[in-house]
Amino acid sequence: MKDHFNEVHPIISFIYFLAVIGLSMFMQHPIYLAIALISSFIYSVMLSGTKALKFNLIYMVILLVFMATINPLFNHEGATILFYLKSGNPFTLESAVYGIISSLMIIIVIIWFSCYNVIMSSDKTIYLFGRITPNLSLIFTMVLRFVPLYKKRIEKIIMAQKCIESTEVKGYINKLKHGTKILSIMTSWSLESAIETSDSMKARGFGLKGRTAFSNFKMTGRDYYLALWMVINISLLIFSRLHINDSAIFFPVIKINLTNYTGYLGFFGLCFTPILLNMMETLKWQYYVSKI
Amino acid sequence: MNRKTLNAFIILILIPITMLFGIYVLDDRKYYFISMLIILYTLLPFFLMFEKKGPKLREVMLIAVMIALAVAGRSAFFMLPQFKPVVAIVIISGFCLGSQSGFLIGAMSGFISNFFFGQGPWTVYQMFAFGLIGFLAGLFKNSKTLNTNINKKALCLYGFIATFFIYGGIVNIQPSLMSGHVMNWKATMAVYVSAVPFDLMHSIATMIFLYFIAEPMIEKIDRIRIKYGLNGLSH
Repeated sequence: MKDHFNEVHPIISFIYFLAVIGLSMFMQHPIYLAIALISSFIYSVMLSGTKALKFNLIYMVILLVFMATINPLFNHEGATILFYLKSGNPFTLESAVYGIISSLMIIIVIIWFSCYNVIMSSDKTIYLFGRITPNLSLIFTMVLRFVPLYKKRIEKIIMAQKCIESTEVKGYINKLKHGTKILSIMTSWSLESAIETSDSMKARGFGLKGRTAFSNFKMTGRDYYLALWMVINISLLIFSRLHINDSAIFFPVIKINLTNYTGYLGFFGLCFTPILLNMMETLKWQYYVSKI
Repeated sequence: MNRKTLNAFIILILIPITMLFGIYVLDDRKYYFISMLIILYTLLPFFLMFEKKGPKLREVMLIAVMIALAVAGRSAFFMLPQFKPVVAIVIISGFCLGSQSGFLIGAMSGFISNFFFGQGPWTVYQMFAFGLIGFLAGLFKNSKTLNTNINKKALCLYGFIATFFIYGGIVNIQPSLMSGHVMNWKATMAVYVSAVPFDLMHSIATMIFLYFIAEPMIEKIDRIRIKYGLNGLSH
């Protein structure tokens, strides 16, 4: 399936991930956690299919079990004692629940980052930071180009060395020494050619005034609507939290307020932005197809 | 704003304000968010100074090559977990090119290699840990000219200590910070203890790499620096 959120302007998608990941780090309230978990899960599956499904499930179960047992083993706060450990310390319900909540927070952030890795590709990152930090962005682009180049170069060096040497390299020490030799050839070749590249770039007018970078991103009407949508939802969330008490307290007893419906709606709208966008675009497409 | 005022501003004003904000506004619970912010503040001046200095294109290239070698090295050994040459290359770079470039090369290696390995909440911590190792390696460099006689044993020892204590120490604290509620020393120690075999593996790998590649690489970098007159990098 085609992902339409991948096509929106990099600034919009970056702000979306910043907001969603930043907020997910703060939320300990089970409703918000549920919203974030469901949306991030659905979106990651939309982006990477069964691979994401497998990864999410395996990772989630391991982390959940690990944290839910580790936390009550070390943390003995809470009023509801389930049983006593061998060391004489109590194993409390609150502590176990808190372990689950905090492991969910970590899981959600990790799933969001798996979506971030698909959407915010390196060209978008360069576009976003190229104007603020031109030198670092140059380094960034050069490195991305150098990595595949160096892999090819190493292959070439190995082939050349094979031609020169009459016998096969045997023994661990010899192999290590051989590897070192290849790396040192690699280093001098790369350093020398990089300096040449920089001289060539300079000769062609790199860094002169009035030069611009090519990019293919344009803010469209849809991007403005998306920005507006996110601003509305984030302000709904923040302002409702200022007025209505929706705290979630776990110690000494679990006390959760479940009445901030506006806040839930706002967070739902924010987290589901890419999913809703995809649904909308699909419906639009089907509508146009049906009209033909 | 020069470097000293910027550093003073960050250390004396920005970091305390953030900590107070964490204690009073966020109820002293969001260690993760606050620690992340503080690490970002420490990364910032290096990046800003690098931009402001307006380095020569040749210097930028030299830094890019070192980062690329570190990133390519990390992906070349993808099948051996923890057995990575990144720290070794960062130490060599810091040693040859000075503290500031060392920090930059370390931090950027962490950042860019995670485009191949996956970004996550750990990226900032890795960037800081690699950067710090490179920065400290730069302090060992005493002369601006050739590093003719390299003390290989000392370099290997530094590699081991830096990987085990600095990298392991910084990166392993991240999961316990993230669990939010009151920091629990026992739980944190449990994480550290369970990470010991991995850190040990990583440290030994760094030592082995340093032992074999330090001398030839330092020689090559110095040769390039003399040939093209890149002495601006050292301060």
